[in-house]
Amino acid sequence: MSLAIETIDLTKRYGNIVAVNKLNIRVKSGTIHGFLGPNGAGKTTTIKILVGLLRPDGGRVIVLGEEIRESGPKVQSRIGYMPELPRFPKHLKGWELLDIYGQMYCIPSQERKSRIRRLLEIVGLKGRENDFIGEYSKGMQQRLGIAQALLSEPDLVILDEPSIGLDPVGMVDVREIIKDIARKGVTVFISSHLLSEVEQTCTHVSIINRGVCLAEGPLGDIIGKIAGSSVLEIEVAEGLDKIINIVRDLPFVSAVQVEGSRLIIESHVREDIRPKISRAITEAGGTIIYMNMRMKRLEEAFIRLIRGEDR
Amino acid sequence: MSGENIREMRRLKMTTQLLAIIRYELLWNVRKKKLLGAIAAAFIITTLTLALPVIFGSVYNRPIKSDPNYVISNSGSGSLILFLFALVTTMNSISGEFESGTIIPLLAKPISRTLILTGKIIAAIFTVLAAYSLLYAYLVIGGIILYGPQDNLNLIPLCMLGDMLSTTVWMSIILATGALSKNTTLTTVIGVITFLAANIGTSIISFFTEGAWILHYFPGNGATGYIKTLGIIRSLNLSTGTDNIAKIIIQYMLNPSAYVTYVKIEMGGTQVSPPIFRELYSEPLSLVLFRALVVAATYITALLLLAWYAFKKTQVLE
Repeated sequence: MSLAIETIDLTKRYGNIVAVNKLNIRVKSGTIHGFLGPNGAGKTTTIKILVGLLRPDGGRVIVLGEEIRESGPKVQSRIGYMPELPRFPKHLKGWELLDIYGQMYCIPSQERKSRIRRLLEIVGLKGRENDFIGEYSKGMQQRLGIAQALLSEPDLVILDEPSIGLDPVGMVDVREIIKDIARKGVTVFISSHLLSEVEQTCTHVSIINRGVCLAEGPLGDIIGKIAGSSVLEIEVAEGLDKIINIVRDLPFVSAVQVEGSRLIIESHVREDIRPKISRAITEAGGTIIYMNMRMKRLEEAFIRLIRGEDR
Repeated sequence: MSGENIREMRRLKMTTQLLAIIRYELLWNVRKKKLLGAIAAAFIITTLTLALPVIFGSVYNRPIKSDPNYVISNSGSGSLILFLFALVTTMNSISGEFESGTIIPLLAKPISRTLILTGKIIAAIFTVLAAYSLLYAYLVIGGIILYGPQDNLNLIPLCMLGDMLSTTVWMSIILATGALSKNTTLTTVIGVITFLAANIGTSIISFFTEGAWILHYFPGNGATGYIKTLGIIRSLNLSTGTDNIAKIIIQYMLNPSAYVTYVKIEMGGTQVSPPIFRELYSEPLSLVLFRALVVAATYITALLLLAWYAFKKTQVLE
């Protein structure tokens, strides 16, 4: 699979502060890739370098197969970008802004009109396009930001915190829009600190802290590798000691804890382990009287990774 | 695709993008309340220019005579109008975008920074030209109504171009300051201070020192001299700076062989003795015009290059 974004030892300093420190990330084409990290991790700085707003101090950046050396318009025509909390000229109307931006992409007039009409409907701004942007709420500006990022039908869409300022309905809408874009084969690169949003939307993630990439890969693999994939809570009627040893020896089990008459079993695979555990306990002569399974969340993996790094 | 076709397509793309940025900026300019304020101020000044002789005439019971040169001799906008138009069209066209954050989505579009700056300058020039067209139309119509048929109206377009060139000098100063500071307040303060220094300061220096020649090379009013035709000093004074290009053009078109004589005012030793006007030197009006045009062009080129360089190299940190 080709890469939509690749950074090699990317470095950016602000005076003595190293915002991005030899960062290496690889974003596969056609994926929805989450870019995660705590505040000040270097996410926005990296994104600004990707779209040509900042110049790197070191390393290489390859976007859609083209190396970015100087901020230039060549590859920008294939990128749709929505900045964090986007701000647009208040003196323009929503339609005017999209029309002017479309003109900058050299989209023919008729095509521009039909795309703008469609996008306004998708982002839920239909009927407000002739209002001045100065009259838009934060959420509406966010929606306009998504519309302008999709205007050129880009190969790569970069969204910096797309859910900030949106109400719950807006968040669901954005999630659906992102999935819809990805279905058309477009790569979506999302920076976010709303982990539940990322978990529901992204197929792949990169987690960075202090400008360094700590983990990268398919979402399930990252969660499994760092936090374990699932936790199974079991209560057995008798023979707990014998059962502990049998369960511990199962290849997909990474840890077993005993809490009274209950066993807390952690697994590192994302498949449903209940049938295998049930069979193993029954064959050992045990009787299960309670069983509850929950999948590990991205949040647990993220916190484990960041806290481990901070220590 | 042949090389020529590729070049043609690139040209077409650049034209489309340039038109987009001009539209972006023009819509901003025409919706600025500050611009409407500046136009209103310019109309008030023009109205006073037209009406004051009529008002004084009626107050002192001296009805005004028809004057076929009234419009042309009052053409050439004052420094304040030139500066105001330059200030309101360019004070936040770069710095305002950085301060509000609107520069981020703009710079992420596939349009070069050179083209963005060019579009902004062209839009500012169009806006000011439109304002001057309205003003001059008002002056001409008002002049004809109050002072009868007017001569030399064919010089009005040249006069507008002169005013535009003078305004562009101020625009360049403000754009360069905005591109370097990215702060609208600082840009405005520096612009106003430069304007005051270049107009009030130079007038004082011009009359009381012998080193006034250096003012020919400053923006603003420059040095002040008197028009001399066939060896006779006419009462008409003329400032040589970049703010007065329109007036210099008119004087040159009306008196191509005239000279400009510079004087120094020497105060008398006692309170009763009047000040003495000592002639310093004279130079042809053609030279004055040529020098004003070259000085204006030099300032515009140098300052716009500075603005371009600062804008091109700026990184968007916030």
